[in-house]
Amino acid sequence: MKRGSAELLILALLEERERHGYDIGKQIEERSDALIKFHITSLYPTLYRLESKGLIEGRWVEKAGQRRRRCYRLTPGGRGTLVRQRSIWQNFAKAINRVAGIKHA
Amino acid sequence: MRNWTTYIRDAFTSTAVDGDVLDELAQHAESTYDELRADGVSEQDALAKIDRLIDGWRTDPAALQRAVRRSIAVVPPSTSRSFFSGTIADALYGLRLMRSRPGYTAITVLTIALGVAAVTTLFSVAYGVLLRPLSWANGDGLVRVIESRGGKQGRIPGTMMNGSYVAWEDQPQTIEGIASWRDGTVTLTGVGDATRVTVASVTPSMFGVLRVQPLRGRAFAPEEGRQGNARFAILSYAIWQQQFGGREDVLNQQIVLDGSPYTIVGIMARTFAFPTAKTQIWLPTEIVTVDGPNGVKRGQIFRALARLKPGVTTAQAGAEGTARAVAGADAGQVGMALFGARDPIQISVIDAAEAATAEVRPAIMVLLIASALLFATAIANVANMQLARATGRARELTIRAALGAATARLSRQLLIENALIGVAGAAIGVLLTLALHRAMPSMLPANFPRVDDITIDGRVLAFAAVLSVIASVAAGLLPMLHVRRLDLVRAMSEGSLASAGAGRSRLALTRVFVVGSQIAVTSVLLIGAALLVRSFAAQVSADRGYDPSNVVAAMVPFPGGRTFEWRQQARTRIIERLKARPGVTNAAFSTGVPLMSAGGFTSFNFNSPFREGVNIDAQSIRRLITPEYFAVLGLRLRAGRVLNDRDSLGAPTAVVVNRSFVREFLDDVPIERALGVSIGKNAVRGTATDGAAATIVGVVDDVKQDAVDGAPQPEMFVNLAQLNQANLGEGSIVIVRTVDDPARYVDALRTAIREEDPAIALDEVMTMDQRVGESLSRPRTYAVLFGGFAVFALVIAGAGLFGVLSHSVSQRSRELAVRTALGASRRQVIAVALKQMGIAIAVGMAIGVGVSAGLSDQLTPFVYGVSTHDWISFGIAPLVLVIAGVIACVVPARRVAQTDPVQVLRET
Repeated sequence: MKRGSAELLILALLEERERHGYDIGKQIEERSDALIKFHITSLYPTLYRLESKGLIEGRWVEKAGQRRRRCYRLTPGGRGTLVRQRSIWQNFAKAINRVAGIKHA
Repeated sequence: MRNWTTYIRDAFTSTAVDGDVLDELAQHAESTYDELRADGVSEQDALAKIDRLIDGWRTDPAALQRAVRRSIAVVPPSTSRSFFSGTIADALYGLRLMRSRPGYTAITVLTIALGVAAVTTLFSVAYGVLLRPLSWANGDGLVRVIESRGGKQGRIPGTMMNGSYVAWEDQPQTIEGIASWRDGTVTLTGVGDATRVTVASVTPSMFGVLRVQPLRGRAFAPEEGRQGNARFAILSYAIWQQQFGGREDVLNQQIVLDGSPYTIVGIMARTFAFPTAKTQIWLPTEIVTVDGPNGVKRGQIFRALARLKPGVTTAQAGAEGTARAVAGADAGQVGMALFGARDPIQISVIDAAEAATAEVRPAIMVLLIASALLFATAIANVANMQLARATGRARELTIRAALGAATARLSRQLLIENALIGVAGAAIGVLLTLALHRAMPSMLPANFPRVDDITIDGRVLAFAAVLSVIASVAAGLLPMLHVRRLDLVRAMSEGSLASAGAGRSRLALTRVFVVGSQIAVTSVLLIGAALLVRSFAAQVSADRGYDPSNVVAAMVPFPGGRTFEWRQQARTRIIERLKARPGVTNAAFSTGVPLMSAGGFTSFNFNSPFREGVNIDAQSIRRLITPEYFAVLGLRLRAGRVLNDRDSLGAPTAVVVNRSFVREFLDDVPIERALGVSIGKNAVRGTATDGAAATIVGVVDDVKQDAVDGAPQPEMFVNLAQLNQANLGEGSIVIVRTVDDPARYVDALRTAIREEDPAIALDEVMTMDQRVGESLSRPRTYAVLFGGFAVFALVIAGAGLFGVLSHSVSQRSRELAVRTALGASRRQVIAVALKQMGIAIAVGMAIGVGVSAGLSDQLTPFVYGVSTHDWISFGIAPLVLVIAGVIACVVPARRVAQTDPVQVLRET
């Protein structure tokens, strides 16, 4: 898989709303119909890397009688990166289409 | 329930993993386990799956290090008993806090810096101009002596006359001595090109009264002031260095001033700056007795200084001066001309420094108050920002308190943090002040007194230091009071102060109150600024009775030793040469034009043409002019004709008067009836037909001689060509009307004069527009300064408003979301969010307008053409504030409108 795709997926998921780590992992699995086998092992390292780059930020949310949960959301910088990465991916997909000759239905 | 955190920590035995990361992984493990179990997976299988997950994480524990910006570690209070080491620890902690929030620190420091700079700069002006002792006072008791008659000062305010001076000069009781001076300019020739130099004509007694001695040579001897004998000069240090190369041998050499030789007898020290720092040469003068030889009455007008004897008050000296002046010889008609009143003489004695600055004192005080208000707004903003942060820091402070910090200790910590911000703000503020000082001479009005005495010295710096302490303490006070009320149990149990109802609302109320006060102060400043700006605009556009555009005027000092006939012919030739230039429409000579010369007063009497047997005392400005004077200045003729070339030597004496003349001395008859009226044989002296009465041939509108708010003065015009003798003093004024920018004709003017006589150095060359501009430099400066303060205050208040609103919207997001969820429309929710602030703005504005209405009368001396309760000024300020308020509210309001209530409610 193309390098950086995991980051793109996480950024895209966080674009919609704040999520915690478990939620992110589950969403990637569900939405890709398990086609993308995302290594849950690398989820947290990826999250921390994105956070240290300032693309996302995490905060603790506490609720009475529950374990505190860490929620992540997109920073303005992350939003910009997402837009750029998306267009790179679209070009990549277009190129693959042209080379592989896959016809649109 | 399984403790997942412990479970995972045990798995990571070999590597230390951050507690936060453990919590997060535990959260993940728990969710995975719960879901697997809910899907019916057996406990054993679920645990196995979790173990595989943990194994995956353990493969690369280094990747699980979070390198994020951490909130600053809470440091336990210093246990040291020593006050100093504790303070240093607090200061270091404060510095770390400042560095951890660069944006916040920059804004607070800059706000304080601007406030400190504004107040310090004005303080340095107030101190230098109003409080610092005069550089030439040399001890106590130096006073100005000013004459008035029936409460009216002379036409040139702050002066006295020779009768009163001479009466007091001889063996005075309350003063050690009296001295007089007059400013002037003369042409210096023989040292390089002919140049105009600034001189002060002083009585020889001046050096004794001022207690100064020349640096080289000697002061004037008493007899050196006598008329006909006064051919001595003392040089300033500056002109000695610049024009004479600082040579020691200039003493006893001769220089040529206005064509006459003078012997240099002394050189003053560099620091001697009397009457101004611009004075280059001192010449001796004499105050003569009123009764001259052959029964001639002599009048002199000048400024005077005296030195009080020890222990004498100004009132006592004034009483002696008055008694002596009343008993002394009266100058008769001359005194009448100069004071416009026959009442008994009154001599007032005022501290010299106070007299020098009396005019600008009210302005400086008003500006000082305005800058103090601005400072208060700036401090309020910093306090407000600190309060906002206090809510965010409640948890930290609570922990520190829980760890054993006493409330006093926490207060000290906050105070030191504020002191750091205060010191940084003061340091930058002082740098700003230094920059402002460099620009000071160009910022202050041209004729502002004592500009050279405005410096930054120890006192000014000390003042800035005191300000910064006040700023720190004031800004830290509110958060500190808040700490004193810190409720440990509640703050800890509720997690953050954000949800602590009572604390929050009290705090919020404080912040709303602060914003309301800022709005009130800003209203006051805005209204004041609007009044001053409108007043300035009114003075610019005021009808002055003449048209100053496209006119250039200059002083033409004719050299001494020429006859009156020669000067008459030279004037005619110069006018002809000027009018030959393309672009010059009219040119004229005159003894005076508005804003340029105050002299030319005359006093005479004549029999009333309208009331039998009534003799009228007339005091009027008398202008001796060439006929195109009216065309050059664009005076408006209302009846009869202006003067022309037929009003020549030998022709009947014709005068044009202005409306004020008719109003004051001709019973205010319709102006047509004034035409053809005789104003007697004394009105115009020195004509070929001396003894023949002068007749009014025309009436023009009044012109404003000086400031636009000055009262109109009677004025009469006589064609110079009708005279065969006139003493025009040092010269006359040439005025030229051009078709376009008159500044481009200055060279042509110089050429036309030089062709007549190369020894004439043109003086005071300026366009009339420039003169009008210069005469308005004070109102302009006050308007600009006040406006600057107001705009600054507006920005500060706007920022404060924005900060408080943003904060309160984010704090109340849950409440607002509940309202939305319960069916409130966006508009209603926004209204709820902004209501409190709206009330604060409205109340603040109302207070500001009320206070302004009470205070605006203080601006009366500075306001022209608008009422101090001008409704436009009072309306503009609230309008500007409302616009600024709306701008400050837009972002927070949008945030409210765009919030998804479902999300807010789910998250919190």
